[in-house]
Amino acid sequence: MAVYKADAIVIRSREYGEADKLLTLFSRERGKLEAVAKGVRKPKSTQRGGTQLFTYADFLLYKGKSLDTVNQVHPRESFIHLWDDFDRTIAASGIAELLDISTTRDQPEPELFTLTLGFLFLLKYVDPYIAQASYALRLLNIHGYLPGLNNCVECGATVSGTQAFLSAEAGGLLCSSCKNNETVTMLNGGGLALMRRLKSVEIDKLDRFRWNKKMRLEILGSLCYFCENKFERKLKAWRSGSELIV
Amino acid sequence: MDYLYYPQALSDLIISFSRLPGVGPKTAGRLAFYLLQHSDDAEQLARTITTALREIRQCTVCGNYTEADPCKICAGERRDRTVLCIVEQPRDVVALEKTREFKGIYHVLHGVLSPMEGIGPEQLNLANLLKRLDNVKEVIIAVNPSVEGEATALYIARILKPLGTKVTRIAHGLPVGGDLEYADEVTITRALEGRRQL
Repeated sequence: MAVYKADAIVIRSREYGEADKLLTLFSRERGKLEAVAKGVRKPKSTQRGGTQLFTYADFLLYKGKSLDTVNQVHPRESFIHLWDDFDRTIAASGIAELLDISTTRDQPEPELFTLTLGFLFLLKYVDPYIAQASYALRLLNIHGYLPGLNNCVECGATVSGTQAFLSAEAGGLLCSSCKNNETVTMLNGGGLALMRRLKSVEIDKLDRFRWNKKMRLEILGSLCYFCENKFERKLKAWRSGSELIV
Repeated sequence: MDYLYYPQALSDLIISFSRLPGVGPKTAGRLAFYLLQHSDDAEQLARTITTALREIRQCTVCGNYTEADPCKICAGERRDRTVLCIVEQPRDVVALEKTREFKGIYHVLHGVLSPMEGIGPEQLNLANLLKRLDNVKEVIIAVNPSVEGEATALYIARILKPLGTKVTRIAHGLPVGGDLEYADEVTITRALEGRRQL
């Protein structure tokens, strides 16, 4: 069918041509889609609001040979809290980018859609970087890549103490004797304990978590390393986000 | 790839045109054939491009495109140097100048922060901005009202506020001739926030 409907989140938006935008959408029914929104950079465009980054909207799309075109868009939620706070914008960018690099086009992932939508709402109420880290762990779980964080994935020994080594290649923690020459990222005891809790705690309890800048950079850095290795793409927003966090 | 059947120089011309934004291979071919058939126009175009590339540079003060350095606005004696307006692109300076309402000076960022595209503060013309604030009482941030534009505005405000500079953001709201019915939630919220007494 040439025309189809999708309720989707705008996870990427780039300028395209004179006044158009090339959107990457993540829809509930069809997964990731790419579509051109024509004329939406003009002030009087009626589709301008619905095609802004992170907006959740009902789209009517026209199927094209290579790219689909946005026919109509009706915004459901603009997530205005993401516009008003720098840290929330950076965290939402990290969430959207991770979703983008970890999914392929036209592959329905309803569980990921629900997770992403939930976390975009959640950014209003919790530390945005706590939400970003927790989202990453849950996304890894859905994709089947959740790192083992309790025992060494090589020898099975319980990992405890002040330092742990996370290996993307091994798929989880390594004890100091199994680490050998593998590329790893180091986690301190506090960071590891927090990561264990972030992966399993109920979403509505995330507002209770607090961390300092050092722990935040350590956990986000470890997750960035792990996700980049698993999905074999660079996470630009995660890297530049670390530089921007004051 | 039709241009593979053309002579090398013509293929190169078509490929060069197709690299321009908004120009596809068919349009590139049409432009190339037009110029071959209108050699005067072609020579004029070539001269204009060469001159522009030779003469136009970025103003070392504000970052706007200019022939003379500093640019006319930075060198202008009648400009109010206590008000500085930050814009995204040189085209935005023209848009603001056309209103004849703003008499201050400008600073062109040449982009906005875009974490997902890997554009951070070091890719923008931000370092020069901090050197220009000595006599500035107010900084108006006039970048586009997109998520990236807002993030850039918040980032600049975060840097400038500790320096004691007043930082303002241009108002957002409904465009002249626009329809309230088609306006989105963010625009209407901003329009209500920026309402004024009649």
